[in-house]
Amino acid sequence: MFKWKKLGKVFTPQDIEGRSWLKEFAQAPCALVFERFVRIYFSCRPQADAKGQYVSYSAYVDVDRADPTKILEVSARPILELGALGEFDEFGTYPVSVARSGGEVRAYYGGWTRCESVPFNVAIGFATSRDEGRTFTKAGNGPVLPYTPDEPFVLGGPKIRFFGDTWYLWYIAGRKWKVVDGRPEPVYKIRMASSPDGIHWSKTNRDLVESRIEEDEAQASPDVFYCNGRYHMFFCYRYSARFRGRERGYRIGYASSEDLTHWVRDDSKAGIDVSDEGWDSEMVSYPHVFELDERIYMAYLGNQVGKHGFGLARLEGTLN
Amino acid sequence: MKWKKLGKIFDPTKFDLPGGCAEFAQSPQALVFDDFVRIYFSTRSVDKANGKYLSHVAFVDMNDALREVIGVSRHTVIGLGKLGCFDEHGIFPMNVLRHGGRVLGYTCGWSRRVSVSVDTAIGLAVSRDDGRTFERIGDGPVLAASLREPCLVGDPFVRVFGDVHHMWYIFGTGWKKFSPDAAPDRTYKIGHAVSDDGVNWVKEEGRRIIEDRLGADESQALPSVIRIGATYHMFFCYRQSHDFRTNRERSYRIGHARSDDLVDWTRNDGDPGLDVTEGDWDSDMLCYPHVFECKGKVYLLYNGNEFGRYGFGLAVLE
Repeated sequence: MFKWKKLGKVFTPQDIEGRSWLKEFAQAPCALVFERFVRIYFSCRPQADAKGQYVSYSAYVDVDRADPTKILEVSARPILELGALGEFDEFGTYPVSVARSGGEVRAYYGGWTRCESVPFNVAIGFATSRDEGRTFTKAGNGPVLPYTPDEPFVLGGPKIRFFGDTWYLWYIAGRKWKVVDGRPEPVYKIRMASSPDGIHWSKTNRDLVESRIEEDEAQASPDVFYCNGRYHMFFCYRYSARFRGRERGYRIGYASSEDLTHWVRDDSKAGIDVSDEGWDSEMVSYPHVFELDERIYMAYLGNQVGKHGFGLARLEGTLN
Repeated sequence: MKWKKLGKIFDPTKFDLPGGCAEFAQSPQALVFDDFVRIYFSTRSVDKANGKYLSHVAFVDMNDALREVIGVSRHTVIGLGKLGCFDEHGIFPMNVLRHGGRVLGYTCGWSRRVSVSVDTAIGLAVSRDDGRTFERIGDGPVLAASLREPCLVGDPFVRVFGDVHHMWYIFGTGWKKFSPDAAPDRTYKIGHAVSDDGVNWVKEEGRRIIEDRLGADESQALPSVIRIGATYHMFFCYRQSHDFRTNRERSYRIGHARSDDLVDWTRNDGDPGLDVTEGDWDSDMLCYPHVFECKGKVYLLYNGNEFGRYGFGLAVLE
């Protein structure tokens, strides 16, 4: 089992003032390392509208490279605008995953629209930044990864990586909408696509990680990290029904692979679980693993899927 | 070349259609058999939950002179999609063709949205009983929104020329409120994709293959292609993007373009042209053309007034 030392909650959106678009939530953290600081992207929400509905934006917080629990600066505005009327990202840009490519920073993000029979649909958009990741320009006003016969809806949670000479995109694809207590809840599984250019994608077209707790287990945040000759995937999973509390809420799982395609799940190695009390006592979710000055960190969400912010843990030992 | 109108040939209100469908026979599409022609169309039931329409595929079999109805389908030709799927709220239209010993149905699936009324995508279904029923290959679409085709991918028309599957279809360029109180209206244009297998498609990604005649706010729909001699002919319909439902000056008309290479198309709506007929069933609108060949003749199926609420008609090429 890996051993993670929890460093506590690092960022609390409720502490930030003067930003109407940043009132609650700091979801799906994603790190980009700079010379003196680490830019951690997250997704947040203004207050809900009169009908209780949210939109979501993505933004970043810069933390001290020498002590990543110390906040230096919060972005003054969202990194992406919401889409125009009828576009796939009209109601949200969540989550975002970034990677450097030459002098640019690339962002892949989940775009949200609202539907009539189910609450939402999600598709993956693509944008680039030429100002070190402060603002991003969309490559088009439609998604970069289309729906296909076996991936009919809810394509979201992108994680972008570049290994060798190939771009890899891990993401989730909706399998079904399951009606629970009269309300449709999405079941989604971890999938992968690869691309020579990050624009034209070939889907692997199968579930990468077996379901463990039930057939309709929902899996999210497939975060892949290369270390000691292996690819390590940390992700999160939950039950399909009544998952908004401690018993059936998100936990962090683990799988590893030698070829990026075949993955062996072994959640007993993940090494991070809910705490007895405090901000992550009910759930742990949306892991993101990154290396900083020869130490490995995990950013993750706690209770209520990041409503009150994200935290950090530091690996003791190595991933093998 | 000149179209000769043969009049309205099918009125859905005179037949018992399945699933509580009473009106509409939209976007007729032909599958020619040895001694009869099966014409698929989209008809409508009313969603009990909210009074909105649901489009369903049905068909009518007609004799090969296309004058006499042999029978109409009384079963479910293809069911609607599952909860949250792209074709949950309707299939309109479905394009059918024979290929590889099977009948393929390319569907335009509809699902409702909140800020705008709808989105569409293109699915594939296969029939193993000669076009009586169809089963989809998956819950999701084979052609959907992409970087430069952001919404409303629909109206497929597929033909195999040489070894290549060609699909002509439409994609939305965006939604717009033309006045502050108006519901959002969409604009769409005709695009093209190719495929080796009919499942995996490569789009031209946002290229509008037919030039606008009414300007940027022209909406183009339902491309239909036939080869006559060495020339490919496309028939489609076009209209203004708003105030097009009841204003006959802005409603659908039939357009035409020709190509020698399936790449460059030259628009020439008048040659051969088809126009509205004063005082007749198609006096205000002409839409959803479908061109096909039967017993050595080239026919055009199409809808008239009210988008086909009271059926479809036929013209023959002279």
